[in-house]
Amino acid sequence: MTVDRARAVIVEFLQRANKEYGELTDDLSLYGGGLELDSLEAAELSALLEDELGSDPFSTSDVLPETVGEVLAFYDAA
Amino acid sequence: MGTSDAGPSVSHQPDAHYDRVHEAWRLILGEEFHYGYFRPEGIGLADAAAALTAQMLARAEIQPGERVLDIGCGTGHQSCKLAAEHGAQVLGITTSGTGVAAATALAASRGLDGARFEQRDGTDNGLPDASFDVTWALESSHLMRDRKALLAECARVLVPGGRLVLCDIISRRKIPFLEVRERREEFALLRAVYGDAHMLPLDEYAAMLTEVGLTVDDLTDISDETLPTFAAWRANCDEHAEEITRLIGADGLDEYVRSTEVLEAFWNDRTFGYGILKATK
Repeated sequence: MTVDRARAVIVEFLQRANKEYGELTDDLSLYGGGLELDSLEAAELSALLEDELGSDPFSTSDVLPETVGEVLAFYDAA
Repeated sequence: MGTSDAGPSVSHQPDAHYDRVHEAWRLILGEEFHYGYFRPEGIGLADAAAALTAQMLARAEIQPGERVLDIGCGTGHQSCKLAAEHGAQVLGITTSGTGVAAATALAASRGLDGARFEQRDGTDNGLPDASFDVTWALESSHLMRDRKALLAECARVLVPGGRLVLCDIISRRKIPFLEVRERREEFALLRAVYGDAHMLPLDEYAAMLTEVGLTVDDLTDISDETLPTFAAWRANCDEHAEEITRLIGADGLDEYVRSTEVLEAFWNDRTFGYGILKATK
């Protein structure tokens, strides 16, 4: 499933970026209080998702995703 | 950029980054280890670096015997200068143990009693309330993620009437997400060379200073005055290429040169720049 693949890409990105995280719950923030991504890291995640899945929710929507669940929902709806 | 300090997060360790490349950077940046203020135009990097320090000193108005907290003191050059030339009693703090050792050795080699050094975090310094007349942060704040905590700690340790002076790289416009994505290789190069830096606009510093109870006396954009720094750094890369290559490798030298070109372009398109400020308790 695309959603599972998206989750795997997020995990791969977090490991590559040496980000510490627990469980990737849907309500986990991508930014402060959650994964603590800065704008560059979000851009890098966006590019990686597009490379792997053909599109990404950061660059194809007017509203940037705020949580892991919002990223996954983009692929769930696709 | 010229000092060794860290944000609060364990996942960001600029001290290790700086320790690794310190000697190469000394050859590139010069002894003062920070940007230059190139006024009058045409002066060399050493004079320009001294001129930037002079800009800080003019705002700090340090009197002999005053207690100064040098936050992100690096290897102690600034602290020693403040103690030796201005009679200040300086405590330099850095998150780098290597930096503390180097700074302590520097002060000892100069026979300076007025400069001492401790390993502390500028965003949670653990020092007593109202124990300093001046807090001094020269190019260290951009490495501290929790900028408000840094400024709050400065406010806490200042005596009433005490002065905070700070200079650093700043952002001069909000960068849209798609532009960050488009230019991510340039930003990633800067992160690789300079560590996990986060720049804020001067007005955001001002807002936070007010929130922590300080009165902002001066906010000055000195981006134009600092712009020639990059050409000066590249000239040093050329002049010391062999030694720098021995220290950080040919790829490291190439990355550094390219990083100065990226920064210069960011200065010219008003993405980043340089600011200096003073606030009073």
